[in-house]
Amino acid sequence: MTAAVAGADDERKAQALVRDDAPKLLAALKEMKDGLDLVRSKVESLTRKVRKNQLPTGDGIGYLEAKHHLLLSYCQDLVYYLLRKAKGLSVDGHPVVRSLVEIRLFLEKIRPIDKKMEYQIQKLTNAADGAAAQDKVPDDEVNVKGRQQGEDDLLGYRPNPDMMDPKIVSEGQGKDGIYVPPRIGPAAMDDSHSKDAVRKEKRLLRMATENPYFKEMIDDAADRPEEWKETAGDESKEFMAYMRQREKQEKAEEELFTRAPVTKREKYMEKQMKKQLHGLQGLTDGFDLGMNTLLDGEKEDDGGSSEPRRQSAGRRKHQKGGKRKRH
Amino acid sequence: MADAKTAPAVTLRTRKFMTNRLLSRKQFVLEVIHPGRANVSKSDLKERLAKIYEVKDSNCIFVFKFRTHFGGGKSTGFGLIYDNLEAAKKFEPKYRLIRNGLATKVEKSRKQIKERKNRTKKIRGVKKVSIYTNLG
Repeated sequence: MTAAVAGADDERKAQALVRDDAPKLLAALKEMKDGLDLVRSKVESLTRKVRKNQLPTGDGIGYLEAKHHLLLSYCQDLVYYLLRKAKGLSVDGHPVVRSLVEIRLFLEKIRPIDKKMEYQIQKLTNAADGAAAQDKVPDDEVNVKGRQQGEDDLLGYRPNPDMMDPKIVSEGQGKDGIYVPPRIGPAAMDDSHSKDAVRKEKRLLRMATENPYFKEMIDDAADRPEEWKETAGDESKEFMAYMRQREKQEKAEEELFTRAPVTKREKYMEKQMKKQLHGLQGLTDGFDLGMNTLLDGEKEDDGGSSEPRRQSAGRRKHQKGGKRKRH
Repeated sequence: MADAKTAPAVTLRTRKFMTNRLLSRKQFVLEVIHPGRANVSKSDLKERLAKIYEVKDSNCIFVFKFRTHFGGGKSTGFGLIYDNLEAAKKFEPKYRLIRNGLATKVEKSRKQIKERKNRTKKIRGVKKVSIYTNLG
């Protein structure tokens, strides 16, 4: 009696400990138990069906069979892993972890195949279900119809050329032997590869990532950590353009294992940029934000910027004989 | 590997590492991260590279064309490690050999060269050689 009472006391103490130390553990364990109960009931119903020979999988789709095997071994590995963890044994370097990762990788890799085959598999399983349902009802007429349907379904897998759009009318089809030139149907022109469209896309992307106002909003919305920069204040447009050009040049130089000679103009630009690190340049840059985005850049409106449009900070390669041409 | 003199460590990183069998050398892009101090000297970099790549002769290591990134703290340049000294002397341009101390600069006075050239302008043919050997 006293032993039983002592046992109950211990149990109560243990429960109190677990409740205080790890409330989440209790919740997780409860979830696991619920899941396991569900799985057990499903497995029991499946085994009952198999015993009654209602689920023949001998001539099934080979791909699905392989997938079943994979999933089964994955579940087995999981259970063993959990067992080891529950008993307090170390899992470090045990082959079960490796096999878990491998199977997971396989499953991820066959996911695109799955997607592609979905339509076919659905069709086949529906057909199989239909056939199984009809087996139960031994009606001659229904059977005949079913067989015809089945055959039609099988033939329905091939591509249907009648559904294609007739783009080109066959040549020389004219009446009285008059030649009729082939009429090609209207083709949709995709503008997404033209230089303008590509540039616009790049510009939008740049605005989203570099414009300090947008960047702040996006970073806030995406919940990113705050970024600390070397420069004080916001970076001006000219600075961003300069940095972009510099980065492009660096990449190209590393690729070719050479350095381009530094021109006087480049030295001048660098000096200018280094002077203007006070962070006030970028203060007035984003104020034409709203107008530009609304107008969708129709007329390349600066929004009334007072600076004259300068040539980009590159080398003046294409200026031919500037000095000589002055008459 | 922390520098003994200054607190912040200097980090070396090599990228685009390639073994060039034709010129019997290894070439790479060298990135040096030196926060809080100005450029690292080339001799320091050569020492470090010799340690990293276990080169017996640090004369076979050439680093050049270093450029500091905007804002300081990081510079990028190129590096070459030759298999042996003969290959280095054969393939490297003169100015880099001079920097490494493997060749000496020939001091050519421009005036002397121009005078010699003008003397040879007066003579025609094989006799020019005598000017180069006698008076040059």
